[in-house]
This record gives sequence, C-alpha cells and structure tokens, in this order.
Amino acid sequence: MNPDELQTLRFADPRLSRFDPLPRIITLDDFDRGFCGWTQLVGNYEHTLDAMLPGYAQHSAAMLSSASAWEFGSHGGFDGTYSLKLATKPKKGGQNVAIKRLTFRKRGPIRLEFYFTFKPEASELRLGEAEIRSVGFLYDLQSGDADADSLRVMPHMRFLNALDGVHEQKWQFKRRTMALKPLGNEGKTFTHYHLSPNDWEDLPGGHQRLCYNEIPTKINWHYARFDFDLASWQATRFQCNDRVFDLSGYEPIVIPGMRNLWCMLNLAFFVETDTDKRAFMYVDGVCLSGDF
Amino acid sequence: MLPESHSAIVARNEPWSGSVATEPYEVGWAHEAIIFVRALAVSGAGAAEARVQISPDGMHWADEGTRFALPSNTAEVTYARVRHFGLWLRIAADLPDGLALKVLVSIALKA
Repeated sequence: MNPDELQTLRFADPRLSRFDPLPRIITLDDFDRGFCGWTQLVGNYEHTLDAMLPGYAQHSAAMLSSASAWEFGSHGGFDGTYSLKLATKPKKGGQNVAIKRLTFRKRGPIRLEFYFTFKPEASELRLGEAEIRSVGFLYDLQSGDADADSLRVMPHMRFLNALDGVHEQKWQFKRRTMALKPLGNEGKTFTHYHLSPNDWEDLPGGHQRLCYNEIPTKINWHYARFDFDLASWQATRFQCNDRVFDLSGYEPIVIPGMRNLWCMLNLAFFVETDTDKRAFMYVDGVCLSGDF
Repeated sequence: MLPESHSAIVARNEPWSGSVATEPYEVGWAHEAIIFVRALAVSGAGAAEARVQISPDGMHWADEGTRFALPSNTAEVTYARVRHFGLWLRIAADLPDGLALKVLVSIALKA
C-alpha cells in the first residue's frame, strides 16, 4: 500500500484521523477501553520499601476519570467518557507519574501523539491558573544488548505552567540527572530521581499560552506530538496545538546502559503541583507509532 | 470485550497515626470494590477501624456505613466489600494515641 492510500484509510477512521502516525502504529490507547497498560511509576527498592526515594514514594495509582466537576457534573473525555487521570497529593511540589512499559524492535523514528489537559482541584471558587507547576512527558530508552552503543537515554519535556506562583507558561527539557544510587546489598538495583526539581532548562522559543478556560472546572484538550529517532537518540520535532518548536537546543538525558533494560521503550506522563492543592493531568488518546 | 478489572494501590508504605484518609480515587466505571489493608509495620498498641467514605466530587466526604478493623499485625489482611458507591471512594480512620501503622491500601475494582 502506498502512503497516500494508507493516509486515506486512516482519515476514514475517526479514532486515527485525529493523529498523524508513522506507518506502524505501536499503541493506540483510548481510555474507554481501560488503562491500556498505563500504571503508576513505582520507585526501585530492595528488601524494604523504605529504600524508595521520597520522590517516587509519593506516587499513587492513575485513575480512569470522567473528569467530573462539583458544580456541573461530568466533563467526560476527549472521546467517550473516560480519560487517564494523574493526581498529586495536596502538597506544594508534589508529583505523580503514570508509565507504560514496552520494548522496541527497531531503532528508528518513533512518534508520540496525545491529547492532554490539566487543572488544580477545584476546592476554591477562583481560577487557580498558577497552581499547577507542570505537566509533561518522558521516554526511558536503552540500546539493544547487541548494539554498538550501550546507553540509557531519557528525553524529558514539561510545560512549566507556574513556579512559586509565577505563571511561567513555557516548555522545558532536561539533559542532566543525579548520580545513580545503589539500593540494598545485592548490587543489582539502582535508583535516580530524574524528575527532581533540579536541572530543568528552558526550550529556546518555548513560551506558549494554552487554552486554560475561565473557571477552575472547565477543561479544553490539547494536542501534542514528539518525534524521536532511536537510531541517533535525537528529538526531531515537537508540536503542541498550532506551535512547532525549534529543537536545535534540545538534548535528552544520556547515561550508561544498565544491566537489565535492553531495548527498553517506556513512556510516561507526569504532573506537579505548585501549591498545597492537588494537581490533575488528564490524558485521552495516546498514539505511539514507528517507521518500520 | 471482557469486563474491566483493576488493582489500585492508593497508599503504599504510608505512615498512619491520628486521623488519616487515603487519597480520593475515581471508581465510576466499576460496579464493585474490595478495599484491602495490610500493615507493613505496627508500633504501639490499640485497635482501630477504617470507615469507607463516598463523595459527590472527590472533595466532600460522607461515611458510606461500612466499617472494618485495621490490621493489628503485619501478617493480617483486613478488607471491606463495597457496592453502589458512585464515582469516588476512600477510607478514613482515627487511630488511638500511641498506635502507628505503615499501611498498604489497595482497591480491587471490577466492572
């Protein structure tokens, strides 16, 4: 089938026509079909859960949400009733992460597309537009065991909505992380808190004002697309709604490969709160595609 | 399609003393739930009960009526079965002075 015929077929299917996938669709997650393999990111440990770093210990289970509001009822998802919801605890700096764990079969271009929105818990009758610190996404990737390189590569991107009450509204990335910390005494398990508040850098030209709406309960869905090449470990395109951002200054975190993560292809979404109020990120419709 | 089922860990290794509650969890898609509690550590003495709570919005909570004992040692698992709970679930408890637990709370949900 030539590319034009494939595109025509995909445009005929409403589930696909809202995406621009590469030839092979790896996952197409619609949360009216359940959790689709998305689960909470649990921190590493050995012998005791007390070994888990505090940043990970705070994570809790993602939910299937109807995005219901106290004063007008259920908002529903982008399509159908349910979306995937991540919620922080009500503590400034609190964070939560949902993850999907795959492996890849070819080191080539992949494309992540998703629809997302975010709001703080509507516990006050005020807008709260600067109460969510950030929402974002990341990949956690590693070379194949027979590859010439042996690298763990972690592209991160977040929309820094607010920091210490300042309404920042800009995209940021990370190329550095803390040193690996060994856990337990068996020499098999390590941890590093790559979502710490440190080391975020502004994406050049990355300011963007998103549709937040006018009261704390109304949500609008945003489209995001992130292209990454597993062969060169380089990001090649980032788009949110109508804006395409220059990635010439973007770099992922790169650290040495680890003993048991070969061909890893993990995707994650995360949310952070900037106040002592729960922050919510909703995701509905995730399409991961590849050129193979 | 097979009916949906899901295990949600809503508190993991969380220290509990005094008045406590799990974080709000959305369950509108499910018809039935079992809420399990394990104590990963116990210090002090005393017995405590958990109360199942429901909510119209995830912010305002009412006792659903079901109560069950919290585990008194690390080998015990306690639980409550709940049906007809709306869109939100959590458990709350008031631990007596001197009793502290580290809890693992999971909700087994089925559509």
